[in-house]
Amino acid sequence: MEIKEVFQTKEIKKTLEILEYYQHQCKIIAGGTDLIIQLREGKEKPIALVDISNIEELKEVKETAEWIEIGSAVTFTQIIGISYLQNKLAALVEAAASVGSPQIRNAATIGGNICNASPAADCIPPLLALDAIVVLQRKNIIREMHLEDFITDKGKAALEADELLTKIKFKKLQINQGLGFSKLGFRKALAISKISTAVYIDREQNNRCKEIRIANGALGRCGLREKKVEEYLLEKTLDKTTIHQGGIKLKEEIEKRLHGRSTVAFKKEAVIGVFQKAFKKALECCDTEGSI
Amino acid sequence: MKRIQLKVNGKVYEVDIEEDMRLLDVLRDKLHLTGTKEGCGEGECGACTIIMDETTVNACMVMAFQGEGKEIITIEGVKGDHDLHPIQRAFLEEGAVQCGFCTPGMVLSAKALLDQNPSPTRKEIREGISGNLCRCTGYNQIVNAIEKASQYLRGEETKE
Repeated sequence: MEIKEVFQTKEIKKTLEILEYYQHQCKIIAGGTDLIIQLREGKEKPIALVDISNIEELKEVKETAEWIEIGSAVTFTQIIGISYLQNKLAALVEAAASVGSPQIRNAATIGGNICNASPAADCIPPLLALDAIVVLQRKNIIREMHLEDFITDKGKAALEADELLTKIKFKKLQINQGLGFSKLGFRKALAISKISTAVYIDREQNNRCKEIRIANGALGRCGLREKKVEEYLLEKTLDKTTIHQGGIKLKEEIEKRLHGRSTVAFKKEAVIGVFQKAFKKALECCDTEGSI
Repeated sequence: MKRIQLKVNGKVYEVDIEEDMRLLDVLRDKLHLTGTKEGCGEGECGACTIIMDETTVNACMVMAFQGEGKEIITIEGVKGDHDLHPIQRAFLEEGAVQCGFCTPGMVLSAKALLDQNPSPTRKEIREGISGNLCRCTGYNQIVNAIEKASQYLRGEETKE
């Protein structure tokens, strides 16, 4: 490591000035749980580091009439502790609680989880299923992007060198809208996802599927939406047969995508169970009173 | 080279650091607080657990400069009124220490847990130490010790 300058900033403005000056030679650090390993392995070689974990504005979670906005430096422990997320957004809390260990959840942030874009990032599937929007800021410019477009490949996000992810926002859920999450890891703690699935359902009065978003982690180069399965399930009646058929359809997709990988044999089967669990939880969540 | 102020165990240190140092390196090599151990160096084992602003973190995953302005507690700062902290006493009594390498981190995870939740269930204790690996004890003695320590801290002495 040849880091020459380190900055602990308290304001977004100052951070953006540093990023503008150093461009690609500066890395943003918050929890550090991914970056410090990359630095030590020589995968990242910045000459400057800027710590954003003390910027109050980035550590806030806000609830407005329509939206939930989560600051990029909000830790997983913070998310787990927010009382108004426990009912309607229990799936997001569950995903946050499944990350690493207490020590990691105390440090690691939602913004880091997104920008690092690990294929197995636990918070990405639920946020994709919520069709979350990322807010990106650089000097004098703020732009918004769908999370789905922001994550471009394994470990890659559409973040410019002088840009800072400031918050992630998504619409609050109403009655008849629900989110479910399920994860398969090899043990209870410190388990990197082998499969993680999030399902969002918007249910019509007649129990048909008005809208559905399915997002997977660890089943591709990065967290991604399963559009073909979504299309297939649209307008279908939400019953056991549909869930079963959805699982089979997803299995076919995974089999194609992971063709030639050693894990395909188990993942194509296991994904059915993980999907069904997430789907059932999403349906249960539809019954929970809104608006969050 | 950069000079920073670190507040560790209530004492303020002025210390010169290299920009690429981790907090773990400064604690051990500059401040000679070697109770904090380095195990895996990648956040899996919890041997380097410290308490920073009332929550546990792995000192191998914090850059030294990030520690400035924080309240840091290492195992050297865990003390009782006279000698041992009740958690340490319970660890000794329950045989929760074998090789001892995980113990400082384990005690700090236990302290952070009991500070927030004075009467944890056994399941909560297991979750509380889920970021700390122990290759000797099989964990049961550690869980017993933390359960006993919670009773000590609530002022309930148990009679065997």
